[in-house]
Amino acid sequence: MDFSLVIVIGALVVAAILIVAYIHFGRSESSFSLDIGGAAPTASGGSDTSSEKTFAGRLKGLFIYVCGIFGVLLARLWSMQLVSSEEYSRQAELNRTRTIRSAAPRGRILDRNGVEIVTNRPSLTVVAGPDVVYDTVEVQLLSNLCGMPYMATRRKIRDESEGAQSKRTVSVDVSRRVVAFIAAHPEVFPDVDVEQRSERFYPFGSLAAHVVGYTGTVTAEQLESNTEETGGITYHSGDIVGQAGVEYQYESVLQGIAGEQTVYVDSGGTVLDYVAKIDAQSGSDLVLTIDAKVQEAAERSLVNVTNYIRAKQGFPASSGCAVAIDCSSGEIICMASFPTYSPSVFVGGISNSDWDTLTNEKNNYPLFNRAISGQYPAGSTIKALSSLAALEYGLATDKTTWNCTGWWTGFGEDYGMYCYLKTGHGMIGLQRGITMSCDVVYYEIGKGFYYSDEPEGLQKTYRKFGLGSYTGIDLPSEECGRVPDAEWKWNYFTDAPDDSRRWQGGDTCNIAIGQGDMLVTCLQMVCAYCGIANDGVVMKPHVLRSVRAATGEGSVIDYKPEPIFECPEPKKSLDLVKAGLKGVVYEESWSQTVHWNSLDKTVIGKTGTGQMAGEYPIGWFVGIVPAENPRYVVGANIDEVLEGAQSGMYVVRDIMGAIYDQPDPLFSYNVENADTTDENFVW
Amino acid sequence: MATSAQHMARTPDVGERLNKSQGILSDLYLPQFIPAVLLIMYGAVVIWSASLTNPNAVFSRHILGIVLGFIAAAVVWRFDVRRLANMSVALLVFDALLLISPRIPGLSWSAMGMTGWIRIPFIRLTAQPSEIAKLVTIFFIAGISSQYNGKVENLRDYVRLCAMLLIPFVLIMVQPDLGTGLIILVTGAIIIICAGPKPSWVLVTIAMIVVGSALIIIESQIEGIPHILKTYQLNRLIVFVDPSVDPSGNGYNLMQAKIAVGSGGLIGKGLGNATQAASGFLPESHTDFVFALLAEEFGFVGSVVLLGLFAWMIISTVLLAMRIEAPFSKLVLVGCAAMWSFQVLENVGMCIGIMPITGIPLPFISFGSSSMIAQIMAVGMVQSVWCHRQKAG
Repeated sequence: MDFSLVIVIGALVVAAILIVAYIHFGRSESSFSLDIGGAAPTASGGSDTSSEKTFAGRLKGLFIYVCGIFGVLLARLWSMQLVSSEEYSRQAELNRTRTIRSAAPRGRILDRNGVEIVTNRPSLTVVAGPDVVYDTVEVQLLSNLCGMPYMATRRKIRDESEGAQSKRTVSVDVSRRVVAFIAAHPEVFPDVDVEQRSERFYPFGSLAAHVVGYTGTVTAEQLESNTEETGGITYHSGDIVGQAGVEYQYESVLQGIAGEQTVYVDSGGTVLDYVAKIDAQSGSDLVLTIDAKVQEAAERSLVNVTNYIRAKQGFPASSGCAVAIDCSSGEIICMASFPTYSPSVFVGGISNSDWDTLTNEKNNYPLFNRAISGQYPAGSTIKALSSLAALEYGLATDKTTWNCTGWWTGFGEDYGMYCYLKTGHGMIGLQRGITMSCDVVYYEIGKGFYYSDEPEGLQKTYRKFGLGSYTGIDLPSEECGRVPDAEWKWNYFTDAPDDSRRWQGGDTCNIAIGQGDMLVTCLQMVCAYCGIANDGVVMKPHVLRSVRAATGEGSVIDYKPEPIFECPEPKKSLDLVKAGLKGVVYEESWSQTVHWNSLDKTVIGKTGTGQMAGEYPIGWFVGIVPAENPRYVVGANIDEVLEGAQSGMYVVRDIMGAIYDQPDPLFSYNVENADTTDENFVW
Repeated sequence: MATSAQHMARTPDVGERLNKSQGILSDLYLPQFIPAVLLIMYGAVVIWSASLTNPNAVFSRHILGIVLGFIAAAVVWRFDVRRLANMSVALLVFDALLLISPRIPGLSWSAMGMTGWIRIPFIRLTAQPSEIAKLVTIFFIAGISSQYNGKVENLRDYVRLCAMLLIPFVLIMVQPDLGTGLIILVTGAIIIICAGPKPSWVLVTIAMIVVGSALIIIESQIEGIPHILKTYQLNRLIVFVDPSVDPSGNGYNLMQAKIAVGSGGLIGKGLGNATQAASGFLPESHTDFVFALLAEEFGFVGSVVLLGLFAWMIISTVLLAMRIEAPFSKLVLVGCAAMWSFQVLENVGMCIGIMPITGIPLPFISFGSSSMIAQIMAVGMVQSVWCHRQKAG
């Protein structure tokens, strides 16, 4: 309120009072003199002037009382209507305006070639205004039409969770017949409409479920988080948001901007007028680096191979995962985790029984993305890195040889350890040691490190290749594994006696062959092999390729590949390791080689069998293709199997077969219903 | 005694009119009449705007009430009110009959939980007799107080005056109608105070009332004993201090009324644009909370104009009371001024959160024919005093 205006008004009021008083006194003085009329007093002293004085005094008091009343009222009105009027105006506006929100369609999620992995499906929804509930006949007709009990229809119309002024959802996914009937009889269904809403739809079912994730109703924590954390989005109760995977990671891009319709309402909530309207703006489409074809092959292969192992080898093969990465850019070509699930069960709210199924240990936690969150012992796949460490710290050269008798007593007879080949490999060098995966070679290297000036040089090399740290992939809930060292062991086993907590030579030997307390994720191993393939440069793994413009052509964001770490090694060392890895594929065993001869690209790689006390081993294979000019690194592991060569390797072969369109003719095992949507394997 | 008084009063009056023949205007006390008429016009505008959105505010009925009010006022105006000075017993009986009439079978009428209404047989007209009873009480208290000629020297006389005032007060309170009861009490008390009792008596009485009210309020909050005030009455009394005691009822009403008044700002939202009232947030926007509607439509300027008109009218009445010689006429004027000022204080104060919420109308503005007729009759009373004054020479 303008202060000078207030002064002017105050002055006008005072002037008006003065004028009125002047006229009043002027008139009354001249028009009459005091009368002596009225009834004669019954009490004595009718002419007593003291009584006149009393009256005059009391009436003056009354005059002051009246003035006081108006003074108080004016002062209060002044404060309310001039000083605080903006606050009251704000409250009056709040009183009468309501906002009706309309959800924006989420952006689609496409594979690298534009194939829709996640899209939206129009859902014909019958909606009714809040007042329909008072029309018994109309509610009865609606319930007959939608095939619902009368009380259920009534309850849905009364549900205010989408906002008091919003139309209430009566029935979703109604048939064309229902739509036509309502459209043809508007007089029977006042205030009932058919709206086209959009829901998440998965054309390929569970394809890439762990990458794309799922959606759900916004949680209380998300509602409370400020807009900085949510990327400028203010959530409202009932909003659908990403809860896992890419849906969660790129929520702010996919979400879009909800439409808002401001309305004027009366005190009963009835809409009186429509004011401003902002149309909903749908979220942007994401293009992933995933290749749907390869992804599909990887998922099918995990199902087939685990079936094969259960049927032919008698191992549980309870779970597994696979990752393929383009080592030149870090793009994830496929990322599969088994068992998997269908994200569509989350659409429209997941039922309790579905949720129990998905989170049950008996079903091996299908929601768990093993490729980035599963931490396993690396097994012999680590031996490539151990070899590079030995070369780097001078504990071995291309000429060094060791004698493997099958039983190694480098720390004395009491601490003897077996090679997996108990008959022994004989005299063996480093390259051959990789190829044959001879444990004794790495026991010797471990012993060498233990007594060297750099007792933790092995761990340094592992860490240089990214083990024990997050790769920073653009997916939630990544785990970082563990590279154990003396400090870790001392602090970890706090309850054990000091002797057991101290780092032993055997510990170094154990991690040199990928056993013991060493844990890695499949993605970490694949990235480490990218370092070998790329001569030391590892690109940051990512699943986002670009964000398409919400309107028009082109993309608004293109993912810029960046190296996460560099681990330069002498070419000579790398060549030796690569030669050893090539031997794994083409020399170690005919039963392995036979699968790779059908691929016209040269593959190098390493099998591994990670062991944990009291559990079935985990079978690994990490491969690089093509060997001469590496492009893809593919890794896979399957839990609870015999060994890596007969489990993970088949999956890697299938994935490379899908990349180059050259499937493995030898591994043709298919269960009768080897469809990936088979409910035995897709939870 | 009464006859001589009438005789004394009439003769010069008639003579003056015959002699000077100044016409009807000289019989009107314009400083009081003009603001009253302006207030009635102002109220008609406000009620007309309320009638646009509120089906309960029937503009034609409001106009009918004004017309009936002026007819009744004209009768009062030509009637010499001094004739009532010595009819205290008859006035008391009439007053009591009016106040208990809503409880008489055949007359009582109630709808939607309202009390204090009667329906006159055969013509099916409903009315609130307590509105007329306010005026009768003014005559009654003024009548019994005027005999002391401005000096109540005997404590027994003072106590008797107070006891007389308690009769209509108690009768209205058992209806129960707290709002009208307070008006009657305050109006009667001011007449008695102006009648000249010793200040110390008055102060002791006020102290007793304050202590007694406090005791009643405290008693009504103690668990386990029969309460004098019902919870809703108690809440009404204290809700303006603490709106949270009744957030859905009176607290809500008070909040909405304050929002309406405050959002009016300097010049208001304009006639018919009062969003608080038009959208139904402001309850009773045509009766008890009509001031909030007015303040929302016309803002601070409109509120000041309203209060200015009231001040002009009431102060004119007080100034006339200072000049009028006859104690009875003086005290009738005091009663009218006290009634108006307290109703304005209570009604406006309720809308702006400085007075308890009671269901009393704003004189000349609120919709409701009983109140309108009674208030215009009160204008007639003031005019009658003027008309029948004794003029010099």
